[in-house]
Order: sequence, then structure tokens, then C-alpha cells
Amino acid sequence: MKIRKIPKSNLDLFVSVLPAFGELYAPVRRGKGFAFDRPSRWSEVQISYPRTILPPKKFLLPPREVTFRFDAKDGFRSTLDEAAKPVVLFGVHPYDIFGLNILDRVFAQGKFKDPYYIARRQNTTIIGVDFEPDEKHFAYSMNAEFVDSGFDLFLSDIGDHYLVLVGTSRGDDIVVMSGCLMEEPTEDDFAEYKRRSSRHRAAYKSRVELGELPEIMEMEYHSKVWDELGELCLSCGSCSAVCPTCYCFDIGDELELGGVPGSRIRSWDSCLFKNHALVAGGENFRHSRASRIKYRFYHKQRGFVAEYGRPSCIGCGRCAECCPAGIDIIKVLETIRGEGNELRNGSTGATA
Amino acid sequence: MSDPKKVLIIDDDPDFVNAVEALLQSSGYEVSAAVNGKEGLHLAKTQQPDLILLDVMMTERTEGFFTLQELRRTPGLTNTPVIVISSIYAEQPIFRVSPEAGWLPANLFLPKPVDPGRLLEEARRLMETAPAATGGRRDQ
Repeated sequence: MKIRKIPKSNLDLFVSVLPAFGELYAPVRRGKGFAFDRPSRWSEVQISYPRTILPPKKFLLPPREVTFRFDAKDGFRSTLDEAAKPVVLFGVHPYDIFGLNILDRVFAQGKFKDPYYIARRQNTTIIGVDFEPDEKHFAYSMNAEFVDSGFDLFLSDIGDHYLVLVGTSRGDDIVVMSGCLMEEPTEDDFAEYKRRSSRHRAAYKSRVELGELPEIMEMEYHSKVWDELGELCLSCGSCSAVCPTCYCFDIGDELELGGVPGSRIRSWDSCLFKNHALVAGGENFRHSRASRIKYRFYHKQRGFVAEYGRPSCIGCGRCAECCPAGIDIIKVLETIRGEGNELRNGSTGATA
Repeated sequence: MSDPKKVLIIDDDPDFVNAVEALLQSSGYEVSAAVNGKEGLHLAKTQQPDLILLDVMMTERTEGFFTLQELRRTPGLTNTPVIVISSIYAEQPIFRVSPEAGWLPANLFLPKPVDPGRLLEEARRLMETAPAATGGRRDQ
């Protein structure tokens, strides 16, 4: 892997040339939180931030997208070309890149490949940056605190500079283009990288024990914990919306006035919504809130393990941060393991 | 008689603005000016100029680059001719990415100090070759 370094003082110049590779999005302040958006000046870019409200999945799996348009005369027209617009995501945290790699397994590497997702993924340049974990991050426990693929460039703070890891040939193109801003790293830089890497791992305040969790979840399938959780959960679906790896979607057709032309719409869905498991005939096989939130935990922490060999949770802490009922995934998993009896964090009410 | 062409100058250097304003007005153009990117974007949206002269280093040293990106995604301004006029390459010698490398969506880059005759000639050419809201040729 090619490695360079760039002085922090020149990051604004570096970012200025990134639009050559697509429309630039970066973390900016949004209310009390942060969001990936188009900065109107460099000072709006927040290189140090805890987490964004929505993960970068919103660029690859938009909350609502037209997949094709149709009318009786001309048949249907795909919108695949519109999905292929080049985008640069600057400042993506490693766990969020890990989340995209998990979405890749579902949408780009599975049996049924999604051309819209793949078009966006291929046209999205990812520039990662490391971060300081806060009390809600537990990415270290989920083995998602570090990524070695899924990005074009990755910036690691080593003091006055960022070490720049080149992950793809497109990343190399960016380095070549902005080469005057890059420098050769030294042995001291690598030593500092290793020091900070150890410090980063030790900085995680929250941890979750994953060992035997799938088996324990099998044993606790009829636990009263799920009913207690159902009493707390509002089924608002916020945790699904902010989750980097929740990907349920709904499909529907919208007809224009006159009823001839129309569009096929794909939009985010959530297993917490009451009609998610509603089927023809009016039967709903997850009618209660308890059954829906239980399903969500089982899909992320148990079902995904069986299908893909690891939980789909990446430990970003967004669900705990945004839950209006204060449900905290770490506390739920501790309770399931018999190591705690709380399901909520101290504060109730979304902060994001 | 047709209305005079409108030129917007976005630059925080009052001496430069005064000089270029006088130059352009003496050639029959209607000129307005903004001292930063935010004000310039506002004037560009409300006045729909025929040409924009854009500085880079204003409140922030890359402000013009970001302003240009926003101009290009603003309906009605996506094809407005823009000449970037800056001394950034002289003042930030570490920055050597050529304006011709495809990252700067301007029609032309001119280094400061700019030759008045060249500026007038390029301004006239760009406004003549860029019909309103239909696109200017980008030949950096």
C-alpha cells in the first residue's frame, strides 16, 4: 500500500482539488449534530466530529429514489445513469467505511446484485479519516475500528500531518494530482502512527463482548427482556434510519395525474414499522412492538452472523444516540448476557 | 439599444475592485461587487450577471474555490462565464496543481496582477461566446 503524508495546514488546498473526482461532501455542523453535506467554505468542514446523524449509506442507498420511469407509449426508462453521478465523500470514519463494506456484501457481492447501488459505489470516492471514540462508540468490540479496504484514501492523524494511505488506483490518481501537497513519510511518522493506533484502541470507553453472543441469543429467544424492550420502544424507526447497515427498503409505483406515466420508487423501510411484516390477507406476523424490536436485534446480531459470518452492527453508537426512549444497544446486550439489568442509558431523548 | 452587459466582481481587495470596476465601466459594462463568497453568491443569484470575476483568497484562502463550486450547482449560474483572478500560485508556492488539470470549473484562470487589456479582451470574448444561461466555453 502506497503511503504519503500531508501537512494539516494544507488540507484546505488538498480538498479544493477534490471536485475533480466528483461533487464534494464532507462533515459539517447540522443543528446539534453533524451531517455529510456540501461545504460552502473550508471552515465549515469538521474534520474532528464524533459521528454524523446519518451514515454515508444515504449516498449509496438514498432514502428515496426513482429506479425507473414508465408510460404506456414508451415503456420504461431506467434511471441508472442518474445514479452514476460522481461523488467524493471526505472525512468518513473507519466504522462507516466498514458499514459500506457490509452493504457491499449484500448489494454488490451477493447472489442478487443491485445495479443502482453498484453504480453509486463505483462512482463514490471515499476519503476516510480517523477519530477519537466517545462514550457511545464500541466499534473496537465489533472489529470495525480499522479498515484496510473500501476507501480510496485514508487519513490518519500523526500530529502536524496526516498519514495518507492509498487504497485504490483512484486514490493514487488523487495523490498524483495533488502530489505537490504530499510528502514522503519518515520512520518517525510510522512510529507515531503506531503509537496513536495503540492509544486509539485503548480510548474506547464502551465495549461489548461478542463471544458466544449468537448462542446466547438462541438461548434467550423467549426472554422477558424482549417484552420489556417492547414496552420501551416507540417503533419510530429512528435506529434503522441512522444505522449504517440497515438496508430494508420498500418498493411502490407512483402514477402521475392521468394515470399513464409514472415512476417506480424505492424508499427506506424499517422492521420496526407496524406494516413491515404485513402481508396479503391482512396478516401481520410481527404485530407487537416487542416482536419487531426483537427481530431487529436478532437480524443484526444473530441472523447476519449465520449469513455473512459476523454481526452487521459496526459499533457506531448512532442508535443509542438517537433513540427517543433511550434504548442503549450496549446495555441490551449486557442484559441478554446476564451481565446487567438496564436497557436504557441515563438520558432519554434524541441528541442528534 | 440593448442593456449593458453585467459583470460581478467578487474580491476582498478594494483597490483591485475599484480599478477593475473603472476599467469595465469605461468599456460600457454595468459592474457590481462583493467582498466575499457569500455576498457574491447572493448578488450572483439576484443579478444573474453575464460574467463573474472571482478572487480565490478572501476571508479564507480557498474561499473562491468553494464559491465557484456553489456557483456551478446554482440553477441559472451553472454556465455563467467565470474568470478566476488570483495570486494564489504566487502566495502559496506549495500549491502547484494546475488550473488546467480539470478540477477548476472556471472558464479562465488569470494570475494577479492582471493585464487590463487582456482582461477586457477575455471578458468581451467570454460574454460574446456564452449566450445567456446556455453555456460558456471553458478554455482555461
